[in-house]
Amino acid sequence: MNPKKPLRYSLTGMLVALTLILSACGAPADVPPGELTGSLSVLDWAGYDAEDFWIDFKNTYPNVTVNFEIGISDADIYAKMAAGNQADIFHPYTGWLQFYVDEGLVEEIDTSKLANWDKVPEHFKKIGQFNGKQYFIPWDWGFSSVLYRTDMIPEGVDSWDALLDPAYAGHISMWDDGPAAVTVSSYIHGYDETAITADQLATIKEEWIAQRDSNLFYWAGEPELVEGMTSGSIWAGYAWQGAYATLLANSIPVAYANPKEGRNSWVGVYGIRKGTENLDLALKFLDAKLAEATGNNVVNLFYYGHSNQDVMNGITDATLKEAFSIDDPGILETTNFTPNLTAEQRDAWTAMWAEVKAAP
Amino acid sequence: MDRRATFWVLYLPPLLLLGAFFLIPLLLMFVYSFRADMHGSFFQLWQPSLNQYTKLISTGSYWRLLGVSSLMALVISISAVVLSYPIAYFIAFYGRQRAGFYLVLLLVPFWTSYLLRVMAWKIMLGTEGVINSFLLYINLIQEPLTALLYNRNAVMLTLIYVWIPVATLPILAALQRIDIALFEAAADLGARPIHQFLRITLPLSLPGVLAAFFMVFIPTVGEYVTPLLVGGSRGSMYGNIIQDFFTKAANWPFGSAMSMVMLAGTLILVAIAVRLINVRDLLE
Amino acid sequence: MTTFRNSLPLKGYFFGLIALLYLPIVVLFLFSINANTYLSFPLQGLTLGWYEKLFASDALLRSARNSLVVALGSSLTATLIGTMVSLLMTRYQFRSKGLLVAMAVLPLIVPYIVLAVALLLLFSVLNIERSLLTVGVAHTVVALPYVLLIVGARLAGFDANIEEAAMDLGASYPTTLRRIVIPMIAPAMISAWLTAFTVSFDEFALALFLAGTQPTFPVYLYGQLRFANRLPIMISLAVLMMIGTLALVLIAERMRRSD
Repeated sequence: MNPKKPLRYSLTGMLVALTLILSACGAPADVPPGELTGSLSVLDWAGYDAEDFWIDFKNTYPNVTVNFEIGISDADIYAKMAAGNQADIFHPYTGWLQFYVDEGLVEEIDTSKLANWDKVPEHFKKIGQFNGKQYFIPWDWGFSSVLYRTDMIPEGVDSWDALLDPAYAGHISMWDDGPAAVTVSSYIHGYDETAITADQLATIKEEWIAQRDSNLFYWAGEPELVEGMTSGSIWAGYAWQGAYATLLANSIPVAYANPKEGRNSWVGVYGIRKGTENLDLALKFLDAKLAEATGNNVVNLFYYGHSNQDVMNGITDATLKEAFSIDDPGILETTNFTPNLTAEQRDAWTAMWAEVKAAP
Repeated sequence: MDRRATFWVLYLPPLLLLGAFFLIPLLLMFVYSFRADMHGSFFQLWQPSLNQYTKLISTGSYWRLLGVSSLMALVISISAVVLSYPIAYFIAFYGRQRAGFYLVLLLVPFWTSYLLRVMAWKIMLGTEGVINSFLLYINLIQEPLTALLYNRNAVMLTLIYVWIPVATLPILAALQRIDIALFEAAADLGARPIHQFLRITLPLSLPGVLAAFFMVFIPTVGEYVTPLLVGGSRGSMYGNIIQDFFTKAANWPFGSAMSMVMLAGTLILVAIAVRLINVRDLLE
Repeated sequence: MTTFRNSLPLKGYFFGLIALLYLPIVVLFLFSINANTYLSFPLQGLTLGWYEKLFASDALLRSARNSLVVALGSSLTATLIGTMVSLLMTRYQFRSKGLLVAMAVLPLIVPYIVLAVALLLLFSVLNIERSLLTVGVAHTVVALPYVLLIVGARLAGFDANIEEAAMDLGASYPTTLRRIVIPMIAPAMISAWLTAFTVSFDEFALALFLAGTQPTFPVYLYGQLRFANRLPIMISLAVLMMIGTLALVLIAERMRRSD
């Protein structure tokens, strides 16, 4: 129960009355942004509820309340939306997008209402498109690769199989995620990620069960990995570039591999819940998410990429340029983007990972 | 007459609370475990299917993990009870005016976030942690011990630590209601302190001890947070797998099936334990 | 009182174990004044900066307030209802007694995450919006067994004859409860309330699923574990909470002694 609600309703009432009076007098029908009221609820990951990450919306529409609900993983967010969560906007990542479209949980987006849409590069736009319709707005993105201590592994890492290498036994940390494990294995063995057979999955399971002997711990959040690599217990880990940039900033000798199989890349997107009554407000929110101040905060505070190309072009910090491989023009060609899972794959791959963890 | 009226005042609120917010949700869950898969809307009606249970039964590693988790829980509970008994004893009989203070002293760390306390143990047990730094400093070891963290032992150590304050409470409650006059009478009759303990204190505190044991044992079987943080790759417990199916796999039917199995198993264990204890009471 | 002179070994054990229990707390405290954002020894310089940032962190403080509200509400309710069940269990005979007691104890056996999803399903079907209230309801249910065990154990060892005597002298049953039974089980009730409070304040699994837009502190903390630079601020709050409770305890003890 929000004690502020009654006050807001009366304020809204007054403003609505004012607007009606003004419009009856022949004033323009559009409410000026500074006076627009209403409320939005967003289902997002922890940290993104900070104002920095929607600062443009906050500054343009200061009288709109935004409430955040936190989801702890893609599966969690999907489960919540499918169970009838009333959030207007939610933030899934590539790999999990198909389910929202299939189950009719996401509203189609009219991109003509987004002023910042033309700043988003074409390949990012495509990530949010299904059956020719735009369902999601790309927002944050980054790489996954092998992060390693250059002093502990002086010979360097050139392949994803470093994560399974017994030579580094006791000093490896893998992300606690089944689909990621399948992805890594399919890169190493050259499997087609979109068509993993039951036999291939069985092989993958066996190899990750064996990998446990080399793995010190699975990390569920970047701080665990950063801590491990800082203390030197972890020499090589599956990592997003956020961890890389954090460690570099703390002068830890690390490098972010460019494996011969190619890095992985993921994109975070925002979608609007189908049937929301706040469609207009939601669109304004998404538009503001693409704006520059917000984008700069994502880059500088989280070390993640932003889908607004102007923001990416404006990066000058050397650490960040390294992390995003900005000066490497060919990087995006050799990068493997996460394809969207089917429901069967989701079930099979997560079950595989559970068996890896439960194995004696 | 008013005893009858009082009965209904005492009976209805718990019944409503438990019925609405415990029994019904669990029944819902039970029914959900007979759903073939998570495809489609969450609330559509589905054909009941034994799909999840057949998958569960055919995966041997899950059963083994359940057994291992139960064994770990047993060790943890017994250790917690044994270690907290002297604390409860001290507070009950030596606390005097300070008893309340000592009790809250015991509980205050409990008011620090559990997550952070486990993280602190992670720091202490790590290769650069307090324990290793100290042992290296006094030259007891030359290399830091890696076996302290990221395995089952770390999980058990941490959980025992976490449960001690909680286990103390029922034992304390039971010890506090022992009439001190009993000890004086026994002393007058020439009983030595150790006999007083074995013949008076221990038996009278047994309900509290058993309460403490079960209070620790049962939730620990389904524990998942500590194994997640300090268990490493091999320290997963059954609860971790259930958690994963709910939050990482969006596979609620299978998670429900696993939970139902664990529920059934624990109920059986408790039933057996209750039988055993009754028998022992009869024998004495 | 000749049986319980000062026992040095026992005292030593008590304070030794207390010291051990506080060891992780000391470690946390050290890191809340650590200049770095990652947790590794040796410490790199001391700072009080994290505490400053803490007070600027609205969301964090709000989550702490939420936890307090939920814990207070659920623990009081659980103590009340748990005492009711304890009374029913030890003072009444009725057909559904076994069932009621079993239901009251069962929350101990159900993994929190199972109950969490089950309640989520229930609230979704009934279209009840998730809030601190839904979390509070869940916490009341899971704290109930603890209250039952503690208060029930106390009541079980309590001779019902005293109540009979009171009623023979003309007291109504409610009066008997109020004047005789409750005061005698008051320490156990307080012990049970403390337990229920603790169970709720730190509870994570249920709160995660049922809190909606207002996270409790553990949920907030868990979410922030993703971001290394947030960790020291969390720890500083935890340390403050602990110092706060310790201070309250010392003050209460002072007040009691001066009575």
